[in-house]
Amino acid sequence: MTKPTTDRAEASPTKRFFVSMLTRDINLADAILDLLDNCLDGALRLADGGDVDYAQHFVKIELTADHFSIEDNCGGIPRDVAKNYAFKMGREPDDDRDSDSETIGMYGVGMKRAIFKMGREALVRTRYGDDTFEVPITSAWLEAKGWDPLPINEPTEVNEQLAEPGTVIRVDELYDGVARHFANEAFENEVRTAIAEHFTMFLQWGLKVDLNGTPVEPVFVEVLVSDRADGPAPFVFQKTIDDVLVSITVGLNTGRSLGNDDDEDSGFERDRSSATAGWTVLCNDRAVIVGDKSRLTGWGDGIPLYHPQFAILTGIIEFRSKVADKLPVTTTKRALDTSSNVWLESLVKMKEGMRVWISYTNQWKNHPRADQSNFWEDSKPLSLGKTIAAVALRTDVKKSESQIEFNPQKAKVLPEPPGKTPSSRRIVFSRPTEELRLVSKMLFDIDDEKPGIIGEKCFELTLAKAVKQGV
Amino acid sequence: MGAGSSLPYRLRPNKAVDRELFLSMLMRLAPALSLEKHHYIGLGGPFLEDFRLVHARLGVARMTCIETEEEVHKRQLFNRPIASIECIHETLENYLDGHDFECPAIVWLDYTEPKAITEQIERFARTIGMVPMGSILRITLNANPESLGKPLPNDISVEVGDAASGDRALKPTVQEWRLARFKERVGQLFPSGLSPEGMTHKTYGSSILRVVKLAVEKEALNFRDRQVVWSLATHYKDGQAMVTAALVVCPADDNSIRDILDGWEFRSTPDAPHRLDMPALSTLERLTMESDDDARAKLAFSLPKSDMGEDPIDVFKKFYRIYPHFSRVEL
Repeated sequence: MTKPTTDRAEASPTKRFFVSMLTRDINLADAILDLLDNCLDGALRLADGGDVDYAQHFVKIELTADHFSIEDNCGGIPRDVAKNYAFKMGREPDDDRDSDSETIGMYGVGMKRAIFKMGREALVRTRYGDDTFEVPITSAWLEAKGWDPLPINEPTEVNEQLAEPGTVIRVDELYDGVARHFANEAFENEVRTAIAEHFTMFLQWGLKVDLNGTPVEPVFVEVLVSDRADGPAPFVFQKTIDDVLVSITVGLNTGRSLGNDDDEDSGFERDRSSATAGWTVLCNDRAVIVGDKSRLTGWGDGIPLYHPQFAILTGIIEFRSKVADKLPVTTTKRALDTSSNVWLESLVKMKEGMRVWISYTNQWKNHPRADQSNFWEDSKPLSLGKTIAAVALRTDVKKSESQIEFNPQKAKVLPEPPGKTPSSRRIVFSRPTEELRLVSKMLFDIDDEKPGIIGEKCFELTLAKAVKQGV
Repeated sequence: MGAGSSLPYRLRPNKAVDRELFLSMLMRLAPALSLEKHHYIGLGGPFLEDFRLVHARLGVARMTCIETEEEVHKRQLFNRPIASIECIHETLENYLDGHDFECPAIVWLDYTEPKAITEQIERFARTIGMVPMGSILRITLNANPESLGKPLPNDISVEVGDAASGDRALKPTVQEWRLARFKERVGQLFPSGLSPEGMTHKTYGSSILRVVKLAVEKEALNFRDRQVVWSLATHYKDGQAMVTAALVVCPADDNSIRDILDGWEFRSTPDAPHRLDMPALSTLERLTMESDDDARAKLAFSLPKSDMGEDPIDVFKKFYRIYPHFSRVEL
């Protein structure tokens, strides 16, 4: 039998442990995207439940070898929030901000994690209404042992004011590796691409994001929909699962207009499929995953593994909920919680949609692009929302109170290749360029006809001979 | 290899200037890097002209010429101007994969095949981490936007200013169509925000060079011991449009090579390549342009402009020193 003593064993986390654990979870580009997420959550709060006019908002990001900064006009941080929540490591249960808007922040670590990831000195300056103040996070504080509260300072000079409500975060004394990245043009391009993809919806709605002085243009993720009621259209599914509205579409993207004849001889080493082929997953308008071609989104799991043949397919799935922690995302917001019910139930429908198009590409595999183009002539690329709206108007869509579903294969609106013979087999072989040139010259009087055409004509010649001999 | 590549240099003044620029860059760097001890690796074509020049100007002794086509390889063995040139019948890729760089090298990846630009660029970028310090790498790439393919006439619409064809909303312009193909071709290396305006004959070369730069910078992030110093970039056209980019692999903490290059009048980077686009000139035209300050007035006619849209007189003024002068010799 033991008895209690007055001694206590210290069990609080050390700052060093905390900071290094926290920042290990996330890569540098994602940390920047987290900060952008915070700006957008600010814009949502500012609209107070109403529609946000994103064209009124800007975010300016600077990446340089000696500092990082992000500036927005998205409303700023209220002083009581700064005092009680915003700088805490993790979100308090009594923090009931955002209970009725579709924000994505839920753990309250994004800003701190991003700052700690980048450097040793930071300053958060914010203006909420007419109240301007700043919170410095210094290297002295980071190195000190306890968890003393951070100071809140008020401006005394004009240049410490902000022109409109919003927030500026500046990080100095960058870590060496971080500085090398920020000075690197390829890294800037990576961040720009990530913003263009992940925040495409907001950019399309007019949000201005500047990266090192140049505006970021949105990347469009779209599928082809025909205007005709009996024309080809993508697979569509929409249903509310566990308080989350799930919308799915799978169809042809605008990327390569339906197979490129020129690339017939290109092997896997040439495959640099466009980013938007594969699956894009949106949560409350943020793209969590863009162009996924892995097992995560079902490839190779009851359907074939991703292959260049499928580079013309795009799937888009969107989860929408006012309860952020019902969304199937992880703390980094750029990864999926694949064990959640809403994800698993959706995955079944995603694969169903993919099967439709996999069999479509199989059917058309050996047919020239021109044959297929005619059927798609009057179709145009649409975003997920517009696709669902357009397809929902069709008569053969299955609609009930809780869900919408359209399967183009079952509705028989997909074009079929002309003269399809089930007995066709594919012939593939390779020969040295010198020999190709020789045969090309003999058959066509030019020495650079496409290898596929040379091979086909050679076969035709031999076939004619075989038929004549009546073998 | 395209038919254009075996044209003699005298019919390709711009390619000749491009090569002269490269040689003059090497001469500039020769004392600092002891280039005569470098290993020169390149593709020589049937006549190995580049090899002859590199040997003559720099005294590089160890040279390796790679050739994929057997007949051309045999011809090289016959034509080789210096016995020490090693001629190898192999693809450049296989050769580099099987080669250990024991001494600094000058590697010229002289590509012409447009469909494989992504692998070519990736190979170039990867090589910066494989060569010893002080090595010089150069890449030549096809910069003809038509190599992205030709859309079917029905697949595209046209737009000029406010005027556009009726199906503009449904169909892309030829530049938009090319941009989509370019994106497919270069994948992850695509420069974010690149617009269809980057897909014209005039601008496509710069777009490719941006991809080259991004690929190299991305690779450079993986190495802390070295830095890449861009030394020469060109965009030229006689027949096929081509772009080139050259760089020196230097120790991360050593800026001496950068300083040498900064003092060179022809230093250029992939952001602002030299645009070499001169028409063939008669001897009289050439001498007039060299000796007269106001050649434009004296000529009293316009020299033809090409797709690249450069003013021939301005280009000549910049490069007259190295503009080649060919004349016929009866043997």
